[in-house]
Amino acid sequence: MDVGTSTTQVIFSELLLENTGGFYSVPQIAITRKRILYRSPIHPTPLLDECRIDAPALRAIVTEEFRRAGMERVQTGAVIITGESARKENAAAVLEGLSGLAGDFVAAVAGPDLESLIAGQGSGAQALSKERRCRTANFDIGGGTTNIAVFENGEPSGVCCLDIGGRQLRFGPRGELTYLSPSAARLCEAIGLSLPVGQVPAMSALRQLAACMARLLEEAVRPGTGGMLELVRTRGSSTLPPPAPGSLIPVFSGGVADCIYKSGRDPFAFGDFGVLLGEAVRAGGLYANAFRARETIRATVIGAGMYTASLSGSTVSYSRKELFPLKNLPVFSVSPRQQDELFDGVWEETARAYQWFLGQNDAQNAIVWLEGRQNPGYLELRRLAAALAELFRAALPAGQPWLVLTYYDAAKALGLLLQPSGAPVIALDGLRAAPHQFIDLGQPVMHGLAVPVVIKTLMLNGSR
Amino acid sequence: MTEQDLIEQITKAILDAEGQAGGQTGGQTGGRKEEAGGQTGGRREEAGGRGSAAAERSPDSHPLNPNPYPDSSLTCARIGIGRAGARLRTEDWLRLRADHAAARDAAFLDVPQEFLQRHQLRQVQTRCKDRDEFLTRPDLGRLFPQESKAAIKEINPQPCDVLVYAADGLSSRAVEANAGDCLPILLDGLRQRGLRLGTPFFVKFGRVAAMEEIAELTGAQVVCVLIGERPGLGSPESMSAYMAYAPKPGMPEAGRTVVSNIYAGGVPAVEAGAYLAELLGRIFEAKKSGVEFSNG
Repeated sequence: MDVGTSTTQVIFSELLLENTGGFYSVPQIAITRKRILYRSPIHPTPLLDECRIDAPALRAIVTEEFRRAGMERVQTGAVIITGESARKENAAAVLEGLSGLAGDFVAAVAGPDLESLIAGQGSGAQALSKERRCRTANFDIGGGTTNIAVFENGEPSGVCCLDIGGRQLRFGPRGELTYLSPSAARLCEAIGLSLPVGQVPAMSALRQLAACMARLLEEAVRPGTGGMLELVRTRGSSTLPPPAPGSLIPVFSGGVADCIYKSGRDPFAFGDFGVLLGEAVRAGGLYANAFRARETIRATVIGAGMYTASLSGSTVSYSRKELFPLKNLPVFSVSPRQQDELFDGVWEETARAYQWFLGQNDAQNAIVWLEGRQNPGYLELRRLAAALAELFRAALPAGQPWLVLTYYDAAKALGLLLQPSGAPVIALDGLRAAPHQFIDLGQPVMHGLAVPVVIKTLMLNGSR
Repeated sequence: MTEQDLIEQITKAILDAEGQAGGQTGGQTGGRKEEAGGQTGGRREEAGGRGSAAAERSPDSHPLNPNPYPDSSLTCARIGIGRAGARLRTEDWLRLRADHAAARDAAFLDVPQEFLQRHQLRQVQTRCKDRDEFLTRPDLGRLFPQESKAAIKEINPQPCDVLVYAADGLSSRAVEANAGDCLPILLDGLRQRGLRLGTPFFVKFGRVAAMEEIAELTGAQVVCVLIGERPGLGSPESMSAYMAYAPKPGMPEAGRTVVSNIYAGGVPAVEAGAYLAELLGRIFEAKKSGVEFSNG
């Protein structure tokens, strides 16, 4: 589900898991196909006031969509809260509102950065970049903002968010301007336009403003004159790294993307700036190379669907199946220096940090994330396992499971080496985590070969 | 210094030397270069002429696929490396020669005695008298002479649940690079499962099917061999594990389970060892291996 500032959408999809490792190799479980079974209509987001979500009303929407989709239950689900409603208290309210519904739900609040990333995944920009080994930039142009995500060979290399969108200007029935957003007003001032609210603006002035916005989108990802970008950058947004030389394929998603591709509409068909903005983008420099997005207005909700479905590496180990599922595990991220110490068998300092971290988070347990090493020797890994065992013994109460996640392939071996301790152990690999993230572990899939993992980034306060 | 470092150094030295003589060539290590280079003397003009082909695939040449050639992080296969006239570029040609030499070394050298001692692996030899016979007579690499049979029995006098041993196969280098890290964790894992283990040893001039006589001689229920794979150009260190439940002479190949690609660039040796321990445990419980086992 995507619960945005103005709209709420639900999709149901089916994922096909397959062992892509082949008969002669170690298993490699991957999501090989994703089929969307049902797309809901676009609902207005139920709000109690400006920014608090009406959880019972939301629950009613979801219950109704379950019925319409003919779904009995789902295995996993995510609610991504975006835009102005992206506040921590909303996440808690929504989770509570949905509790007991058929399936395990995860609620995450997506700040402007995560929202950019999710839209880029949903529109197909990331997949395009991966398949063609190239650089793509997704522009999710919505009502309030444009979320930009740049991907290099399938990996995100930068995200940012600009206050450019279809509802930055709104018009009355006679074509008079009824609303001009602060950032649009700043732009007008910068380019010497005057658009008084209440009057019917000149078409040439509107086109000039739209062209300016379209140019700013281009400047965000291409070397340009710059400067004016700061006038429209969303608060709390990252800045993109300086544009690298070489070409870039733009992909457009979001509500305004439809206006880019469909020409000949009445400019005020939606009573806002979307059609004009879309036309300006079509006339601009990005359009020529653009790739038609797989999804436009639903990019964020589709991206949210993918977000629920990471898989661990396919050689995991765990002592008992009953340990799963585990929810909201804080990530204790081991620094490269601490990792080197652990590999050398030195654990005391890291254990203290771990203990402090547990106290700070008021958590019973936290998953220990470390990158690992690419091709460790047997003795090297045994020293690491011994150090980790000491660390867990020192920091965790007896009976708590020992949870380790590495990036490099080592989970089976680490699990095996930790097993003699007698403590319940879960060792997973193949994923990267970072400080301030939380992790949910689902029930193991494919005969216990892999574990579904959701890595959540919670925005801790309303930075907007 | 690893062999890879050595290859890098030699390649660099030759390219540098040639660069002084013929100019134009950078002594770049690793990866491939964008510009055609490395041509000397009278051939240079021709190379320059073809150089325009390289220019044609400059980053902006294709709107949707600016880099049609996969980057080298994805594969070590020699694709999209360009050419100079009708031939490979000097650097690629040198690398090819070096990789070929490494592959030959892997197949023709012995596993060092020092390695076997360090890992306490006693050596027994198949009926092959030397490397040439081993390469030309696969049938002899599956059988043991009388004295080797006696030695195998002496090493493993008692029947066991699982017997793991190593064999050079077609790459001694693979065994040397991976068996030392793979074997100990594999044995740890099998012990944790409470299985009776045989004592590992090393078979010189051994083919996969040598496991059949070994099972007969030792009475092991499950046999697993860690064996060097036929080296490819660029992967001389890849090792496989072949496993079979109650192998018998003449058994079909479909009865064996295999895990391949155990090396630094594939599945790391330690992780593979831990995975194999679990797999062998399951094979022991299921009392079957190969296709029958995979089909449940």
